[in-house]
Amino acid sequence: MPSMDDLTPGKRTEGYLGQRVQVLKASMFLTSRLFFADPQWVIPNIIAPFIFTLVAFELFDGQTSSGSFLLYLVLGSGLMGMWGTTIYASANSIGFDRWNGTMESTLAAPMPLSWIALGRVLFNTLQGVLTAVFILVIGIAWFRTGFTLVNPPAFFLASVSTFLSLSTFGLLMTTVLLLSRKGGFITNSMEIPVYIATGTMFPVILLPIVYLPFAFMLAPTWGIDAIRIAALPNYVGLPTTYWQDMAIMAVETLAYLALAFFLFKRVEAYAKKIGTLEEY
Amino acid sequence: MKSTEEAGVLSARSRLQMAYRVFKGAFFFGRKGLIIWDSWEMWIMQIFITPIAQIGFFAFLSVYLKYPLSATQFIVIGNALQAMSFSAVFAVANITSQDKWQGTLPSTMVTPANRVALFIGRAWFQVLLSALIAGAGLLYAATIFGVSFAQADFLALVVVVMLTAIAMTTFGLLISAVGLYMRTALIVANVFLFVTMLLCGIDFPVSQLPTWLQPVAWAIPLTYGTEAVRMAIAGDSLRSLLGIIGWESLDALLVMLSGFALFTGFESLSRRTGRFEEY
Amino acid sequence: MGGTLSYPHTDVGIPREPYQVLVLGSPSAESSEWAVSVKGLTREYTTRNFFGGVARSTWALSGVDFQVAVGELFGLIGPNGAGKTTTIKILTTLLTPTGGDATILGLDVRKDLYEIRRRIGIVFGGERGLYNRVSAVDNLRYFSDLYGVDSGVAKKRIPQLLEVVGLADRAQERVEKYSRGMKQRLHIAKALVHDPELIFLDEPTIGLDPAGARDIRNMVRELKAQGKTILLTTHYMFEAEELCQRVGVISKGKIVALDTPSDLKNMVRDISVIDLRTYGATMEYVEALRALPSVVRVVADLDSEEQSIRVQTPMGADLLPQVVAALPEGTKIIDRTIKEPTLEDAYLRLVEE
Repeated sequence: MPSMDDLTPGKRTEGYLGQRVQVLKASMFLTSRLFFADPQWVIPNIIAPFIFTLVAFELFDGQTSSGSFLLYLVLGSGLMGMWGTTIYASANSIGFDRWNGTMESTLAAPMPLSWIALGRVLFNTLQGVLTAVFILVIGIAWFRTGFTLVNPPAFFLASVSTFLSLSTFGLLMTTVLLLSRKGGFITNSMEIPVYIATGTMFPVILLPIVYLPFAFMLAPTWGIDAIRIAALPNYVGLPTTYWQDMAIMAVETLAYLALAFFLFKRVEAYAKKIGTLEEY
Repeated sequence: MKSTEEAGVLSARSRLQMAYRVFKGAFFFGRKGLIIWDSWEMWIMQIFITPIAQIGFFAFLSVYLKYPLSATQFIVIGNALQAMSFSAVFAVANITSQDKWQGTLPSTMVTPANRVALFIGRAWFQVLLSALIAGAGLLYAATIFGVSFAQADFLALVVVVMLTAIAMTTFGLLISAVGLYMRTALIVANVFLFVTMLLCGIDFPVSQLPTWLQPVAWAIPLTYGTEAVRMAIAGDSLRSLLGIIGWESLDALLVMLSGFALFTGFESLSRRTGRFEEY
Repeated sequence: MGGTLSYPHTDVGIPREPYQVLVLGSPSAESSEWAVSVKGLTREYTTRNFFGGVARSTWALSGVDFQVAVGELFGLIGPNGAGKTTTIKILTTLLTPTGGDATILGLDVRKDLYEIRRRIGIVFGGERGLYNRVSAVDNLRYFSDLYGVDSGVAKKRIPQLLEVVGLADRAQERVEKYSRGMKQRLHIAKALVHDPELIFLDEPTIGLDPAGARDIRNMVRELKAQGKTILLTTHYMFEAEELCQRVGVISKGKIVALDTPSDLKNMVRDISVIDLRTYGATMEYVEALRALPSVVRVVADLDSEEQSIRVQTPMGADLLPQVVAALPEGTKIIDRTIKEPTLEDAYLRLVEE
């Protein structure tokens, strides 16, 4: 057996940002490895939004077969797919360490937990994007809707922004799950209300007025509106323009991010106070 | 050989007693063992949040599409009943998985417990919960979503809801049996949970499905249940529902028998391949 | 092996070298000269009731003091629940102390978290702490990134570490396929991935078979030879005796003794130990031995076919006739040895007092 004398001496990565980017990349990479080691759990994330979409299509079928109307739906179901995956997978990202027994090792690392979690969440949201694309492709093929976009660059920009916005939401959910033993309850209860509130399948304007503040507080509500403005001709959605949607989404996303980082500090302080986050 | 016969009779009786005790034990385990579902939050979610959200989602969609009121009410009632699937199918299927995760599956399987009693005892509590959830769903239909129960035959309604809860739980058991062998029982349950939404005449009539899918729909007890519930709300009496209730019962029985066959079959298969513990 | 120490959980054939004399810094030295310095450390655990009031409060540590010199191999021993794990958690910055002070390499455990974490390595005992679904390389790469190891260095260091801990040929395999001993060796590699100066080993050999435990102990010796400071907790006394330069005995949240193993053994110099291997012995015989005059303590392991019984007495060999006379019907003594007391005998006295 070779001796410890032969080991290359350790050397640290330089720079504040360099270290954080390194953690982010490592966390994303590990999450992807863990995902590909057991990818079956993506099925539940796909199936719910997909069935919701099929039912909606079936209902739409009797009413209208306008191509742009169907695309309206397909886009909405794609977003549902992203939501579903983000909420479940991200909320479990650090929760996974809890039952895997790696919580202590993770907490012992000389890096803020938030950066580790952000890496997990980014991969999970990416997985959500794939879910969305998968649902889009099937929806388009199955129902033979066209996929011509009014403004492709704007569509792309809105989609990427919505992706980032969902990631920060996932990060926020992670803290909730870490702070509360009942995080699973919250994520489970939120799924369908969030589908409703973000206007995935029908405009949020239809909702009772008490529901609207909740709807407007969710950044993806503005994201899906912007996506549809960029994709569909003659689309009538929220009374905001594309750029207004994008601005509101950006502000809300930054607010999520700030809140998430603040809560992560609380989580870490709490963990140190009680000495563990292992218990469930 | 008279003595052997007597011994046989005795052991048959003691076997029955044993089966009762296993049933009783499994009944309580079925409740307590469901760790995930055994917190008050899960109850609130299952009884209050999920049904309202689900009914609301499709009701709003129907309003958006400018469906007539009758069609919206069709959707509301369908979803009110379908809301029980979560507890009936998913939670029941979850029991076996829980056993696996906690590593208690081998210790359950090494007991000489009567399998039928174990099988049924574990699920009974979910039957009650499922019926409660469907009842709550119908209550929301009446109070929030404006479905009129003026004509309803309540006796028929109660019978149909209970029967559907039992029938759907048997489906949960069927999947739970699969879970004994496969590591994917929860995923099968998850898929099934949503497939009922598509197939069982929840949001649109079964006749709207492609012809080849319709027999699949009628193999699921919930399809009979939703139809019967709508009829009972419209005022059909228990007597006039006997036909559809009969079909639903027969269907549930078949599901249960195949579930039991799978349960014993997979058990011996698991024993041969040693897969109790994997997940 | 009649004369050597043969104990239920000992493995055989470990060479026992004489201890080097350790020159420690003077007690008045600046705290930065110590790798670990702990003063009056306390920790209270409270559980809260439904209304947020304190329902129950327990003191896991009630004033712990000790220092570990740079380059020293220090052992912390004590029964379960004595406060070992709490101490380790505080020193590794995973838990805030309720009172007292603790510095690691001159840094405050309350304030300088990340700097401390970069310079220490932690080996948790038991199965936990690894990602089982991915390979050893994936685990090491992940943790080296978390610890901010320069990626060029990591590329060289990870394969070297896997060589050192003897996992190189199975480095690409999923950790779930590893044996308990292999996982523990991977834990060591994981703790070393960022080249720490100070290493905490929390019961590193727990649950390992004798060969696996010996491998780990050999690695600990090598680390020591590298000049690393090591704080080891264990509840295997022979392990502490064999490896550690100084040992702190912790009991009920306090350090009750702190010295070199040989000086700790001096505490029980007045007694000798009759080591019996018996056949057919039961609790009845143990009780009979306890009732003998001048018997200080009897420790027995009756679980296996051949039982081992340790009798501490100041009388030494003179007690043997009475030990034999107390034999019940059907119990036989296979082997008996008179021994010098070990660290375990001292430890038992300390934690029982």
